[in-house]
Amino acid sequence: MTDQDNGKQCGLMASLCKPSTKYSLGSLLVIGIILGVLFWGGFNTALEVTNTEKFCISCHEMEQNVYQEYKETIHYNNRTGVRATCPDCHVPKEWTYKMIRKIQASREVWGKITGTIDTREKFEAKRLQLARSEWKRMKASDSRECRNCHSFESMKPEMQKQRARKQHEMAIEDKMTCIDCHKGIAHHKPEGMTDEDEE
Amino acid sequence: MKKTLISSAVLAATSLLAAPAFAAAPDWGGVEAREITLFYPGVSPLEWIQKGTEHGGARALKKGETCEGCHDEETADMGTKMVTGQKIEPSPIAGKAGAIPVKVQAAHDGENLYLRFSWKQPAASGAAKMDADNPVKIAFMLESGSQIELAEQSGCWATCHQDLRTMPGGDEAKTKYVKGASLAEGKFYDLYQWRSGENKGYDGYVADKRVMEGGKALQSAEGKLDGDQWTVVFTRSFSGAEGDVALEAGKVYNFGFAIHDDSAVGRYHHVSLGYKLGIDAKADITAAKK
Repeated sequence: MTDQDNGKQCGLMASLCKPSTKYSLGSLLVIGIILGVLFWGGFNTALEVTNTEKFCISCHEMEQNVYQEYKETIHYNNRTGVRATCPDCHVPKEWTYKMIRKIQASREVWGKITGTIDTREKFEAKRLQLARSEWKRMKASDSRECRNCHSFESMKPEMQKQRARKQHEMAIEDKMTCIDCHKGIAHHKPEGMTDEDEE
Repeated sequence: MKKTLISSAVLAATSLLAAPAFAAAPDWGGVEAREITLFYPGVSPLEWIQKGTEHGGARALKKGETCEGCHDEETADMGTKMVTGQKIEPSPIAGKAGAIPVKVQAAHDGENLYLRFSWKQPAASGAAKMDADNPVKIAFMLESGSQIELAEQSGCWATCHQDLRTMPGGDEAKTKYVKGASLAEGKFYDLYQWRSGENKGYDGYVADKRVMEGGKALQSAEGKLDGDQWTVVFTRSFSGAEGDVALEAGKVYNFGFAIHDDSAVGRYHHVSLGYKLGIDAKADITAAKK
């Protein structure tokens, strides 16, 4: 680094530290607010773009595997016309949890770059591990994303069919959570699951 | 003339003496009927129903729930799913019925239990006949005291295993069996069957293997097809011999039944879930004294 560079850097830092004599406090505040809104809006817009089904299935890994399976299920098509898309189940709605999940998801970007599941065979080989990781997350949060729409409080087991009624009554009694039983509700179950996976 | 009179008298006396053994069946018009829908079970042996990764109800079963408690109202749908190969049937038979609704009636006279099954003959699949001699067979099983693991919860499933003949990869020599079988200790299922071709009843049991004959309790098994309506009546004395469950008024027994329709053998039958049969006792099916 030359003396000239050092001088420039010191000058920039010095200017940033020095009180403004040219601009009024009001102007600085307004500019600051505008920049803040632009930055925050941009950040949120970008975040929301990554929180759409379109974004999820822009990767062929998702589009050709789990998305095709999900399209066969009740969360995609049903008589009431309500649809739960990828982020509804896989990304928390609450900001803090959403940010934590997004940071965790940066690993998935690395997986995409290195091609860890870029073929059907690779995906199938890794499916159980990936599913277990998601089941663990859902279990730890008491199936929080399921509960954005479903809850035991608003459920009337007496309006359900015999089998569902029995299972839900038992689940309430045993303080179970949705994912304990509903693995594979929107995607095929992985090969090689063990009894521990169902406990 | 005298000779004829004497022989008539002897005949009359003999028939009177024989009367208890061939007691008349009750007036079925006055006996309540319970409709039970038999369904095609695919490949769902005892091992399968207990496997949580395959059967969502395995947890409920472990907690003591019965098969009937969850599935009684949906047997027809289950049968359709399996018979068409959507679920646990690797070799579906096109056109085979998924379910058969059967009316079950039971009564007793203090010495004999009468069981009457009636159902509409389902359409034939047209597939190759597995048992060409017997287009239809119907069987029921009784178990006393719930001494066999899962007998109370699963009925006949306690005798059905993945290594049986006609199961995928099964042992051709293996027939139904129960775990920990012991005729002496009463750990067996009492088995009765009527075969349409032979028009004959069988009285056997299921212990460490299935035995079709040797029981002494079955008095008669009669079946007929009237139009498309089958009716089969079993008359079974309360007591019998080894391999026969002794029946008593006031008691409840584990009960299940199955039809081999469409000339089927082995697992290609339609089965009931496990139910309870009571002799003068409240149960799914109660045999009241007539």
